[in-house]
Amino acid sequence: MENADSRTSSLTRIFLFAGISLLAAFLLFYLTMSAMAPARKLSRIGEDFSSGQTGENATDERKFSDSAYLRLLRDKSFLHSRIAMAETDSIYLTINLADSTANIEISGVAVHKVKMENFRVSKMLRKGDERLVYFLLSEPFNIEKDWSSIKKEPVMLKIAPKDTSEYKPDIIPDTSLVEPVNYIFQMTNGTKVYVYQSERDTFGERFAQFRFDLNDRIRESRDALGSVVAFRVPEYHPHIKIYLPRADAKRIYRALPRYGQVGIYR
Amino acid sequence: MEEENKNGDLEIPGTNEAREHGSAGELIDKPGFITKILSGLKEKKLLYNILRIVFIVLSSVISVLALSFFVLYLVPAITEIPSNRGPKLRVDEELHSDAAFKKEIASMQKDIQRLSRKYASYTSGQSYIVINTTDNRFSLYKNKQLIREGFCSSGSYTMLQSHGDKTWIFKTPKGKYRILGKTTNPVWKKPDWAFVEEGLPIPSANHPSRYEYGVLGDYALAIGDGYLIHGTIYKRFLGMPVTHGCVRLADDDLEAVFNTLNIGSKVFIF
Repeated sequence: MENADSRTSSLTRIFLFAGISLLAAFLLFYLTMSAMAPARKLSRIGEDFSSGQTGENATDERKFSDSAYLRLLRDKSFLHSRIAMAETDSIYLTINLADSTANIEISGVAVHKVKMENFRVSKMLRKGDERLVYFLLSEPFNIEKDWSSIKKEPVMLKIAPKDTSEYKPDIIPDTSLVEPVNYIFQMTNGTKVYVYQSERDTFGERFAQFRFDLNDRIRESRDALGSVVAFRVPEYHPHIKIYLPRADAKRIYRALPRYGQVGIYR
Repeated sequence: MEEENKNGDLEIPGTNEAREHGSAGELIDKPGFITKILSGLKEKKLLYNILRIVFIVLSSVISVLALSFFVLYLVPAITEIPSNRGPKLRVDEELHSDAAFKKEIASMQKDIQRLSRKYASYTSGQSYIVINTTDNRFSLYKNKQLIREGFCSSGSYTMLQSHGDKTWIFKTPKGKYRILGKTTNPVWKKPDWAFVEEGLPIPSANHPSRYEYGVLGDYALAIGDGYLIHGTIYKRFLGMPVTHGCVRLADDDLEAVFNTLNIGSKVFIF
């Protein structure tokens, strides 16, 4: 009896040890693959960049480490990007990280200007290879999909009355409703723009933002785990996180078309 | 607390029992009081089992939390550590003295000036109006200067569904529009939804019941597709999203807008 017990106990220990070892090995593999993702992303941008720079247009590497040249290139790229967006007649967003402003623009006219309370940028965009980052920012970003804590169009369904006896005049809308405003735009180039409300005074506001952020992390991790299980390097999403007053964040989200454009100046 | 025995060795109280029953190795692994507690607990089987389950549950929860923290927070933080830095920025004196580079810089500066002028020309000196449908406010500009702002009413985002399964969404269109027509003392020609909404039968296209006088204020400015900027008799709703898609203004604001904007003036709605 005692022998059987000790055998079961040692088997349990062996399985436990094997399980923990396997888990640790997988986590290490996951970490290694994830750590490779930014470099993979940069090299992919680099390939796109190199493919546009062949023959006579081959770039002089030295230019791209010259700060004066890059400053001009940055200004020119942003202007190009803005003009491209202005000519679409659509509503677009420009984010100027240099002076911490975000503008809603239509056909080149800034119809709403917002001062950012704070912003954070991926290290890849901040400290990565300057030429590649400028190359990435030289074109407008196109929104591919978004996740938001508010509705794009707060549509309410109203069933028509059958006759005049059923008719009731519209109720005055409740404009006092304050909902947390946090959203994410995923761009076609893989970049993500996070817009968070800067008001974090109450527990409810902080919790709403935490929950929204956690959901995004879960989505990202789920995708990454899926890739790693398939022995692929996960997709890395360089990001820009901006913090705006709630009302402004809401205006921007409601104003932009579902597949709108964003221009970024760094 | 420590006492010296006859041989001069240090003796720790409470460890004698453990020493009597085991080797020096066991003495270090299982101090007397833990052994006592464990054997005491094993005797009280129920308490031992409860504590065992609590320990297993707690360690499982902690493991799951640690794993989640690792996957959700630690790994993304580690991936943010830059691994592929490009060349450091500097001012290359040799490059700046190169004639071809100088020419390229001059050409870029010219391009930037040209593009800046082009971009600035989009905001012309002509009058225009900006309508903010989220806050239901408007701003009127003339010669690039804000000359008037105030409340308006825009689309309610109501989706009206008729019993014939026809639907209408009452929202103000967004984007760039132009003033296509200006009318004084406009008459509202009620569309089908106005009858459906009140539970009335839909009359023929030019039936007299379709024409309503005095409800659009003194002026109306058409922006296309049947959408108008007009006045209202429901002034208490200004600043609220209550319309069927048109933009309503207060009487004095409407008059200012009517007098400032011309046919072709731009209307920006966001």
